[in-house]
Amino acid sequence: MTEAAPVVACVACGRAIDCCEFCDRPDCSTAICYRCVAVALRQATRDLHDHGG
Amino acid sequence: MPREIDREGVRRLVDQGAQLVEVLPAHEYEEEHLPGAVNLPLRRLEEQAADVLDRTRAVVVYCWDSA
Amino acid sequence: MYDYVAGKLDWLAAGGPIEGTDAATPRAGDVARGDVPTCGLDERLGEVQERTRPAGFDACVVVNQERVVLGLLRAKELDGDPASRIEAAMRPGPSTFRPHVRIQEMAHHMVDHDLENSPITTSDGRLVGLLRRDDALRVAHGRHQAEGDAT
Repeated sequence: MTEAAPVVACVACGRAIDCCEFCDRPDCSTAICYRCVAVALRQATRDLHDHGG
Repeated sequence: MPREIDREGVRRLVDQGAQLVEVLPAHEYEEEHLPGAVNLPLRRLEEQAADVLDRTRAVVVYCWDSA
Repeated sequence: MYDYVAGKLDWLAAGGPIEGTDAATPRAGDVARGDVPTCGLDERLGEVQERTRPAGFDACVVVNQERVVLGLLRAKELDGDPASRIEAAMRPGPSTFRPHVRIQEMAHHMVDHDLENSPITTSDGRLVGLLRRDDALRVAHGRHQAEGDAT
């Protein structure tokens, strides 16, 4: 029987992920998903600014 | 309808004298902006553009990203 | 009228010059070590072992001919069988970070996640350098002290 990939929850948004997208470890105690890392490091923005741009 | 350009397009137009306009809120602009850019938050763009911008030069507007 | 659709994020991620109150804030790209050892997929781990640690690094970045990052060999991978091919030994598709990320944020996350080093790449995946946690902390701490002295 094949074992399921370990699943952790992103500490920021709760999404289930295979491994932490910051450190690549599946057992990271502060695992964070790709989107939340990108927003946290300002590599992307989740929020629309109030001017809509 | 504005024409979409990429990073190289920005460099080319700026070299040719275009005006850069950042439409993000003022505190975002103050932290970091493209060299030479002026700040015209989008909600004030229409009312302030005529006072701030030179009609004889091309205008390049930009935001944080494409979202 | 022209619209630079990709926006400020694209400009920053490509390492473009900026102005503003944060312009002088140290960024990951400023602190990353551009002289990090690199290797290709077809090399053997033994060849990489021979040049990585003597150069003072405990990681080697796997890149293609365009310097696009393909994988990473951290300490655990570097301790592997010298006869193995890099493609088999490496950690593929590592998390990478952009040059414009503020060094204090990188330092904070690297401590939180106990990460010793992180590849810094441009938005099209090309290697800028390897950011070492010790370097990030040193610069972040120096910046913090400077801000404290100023207040």
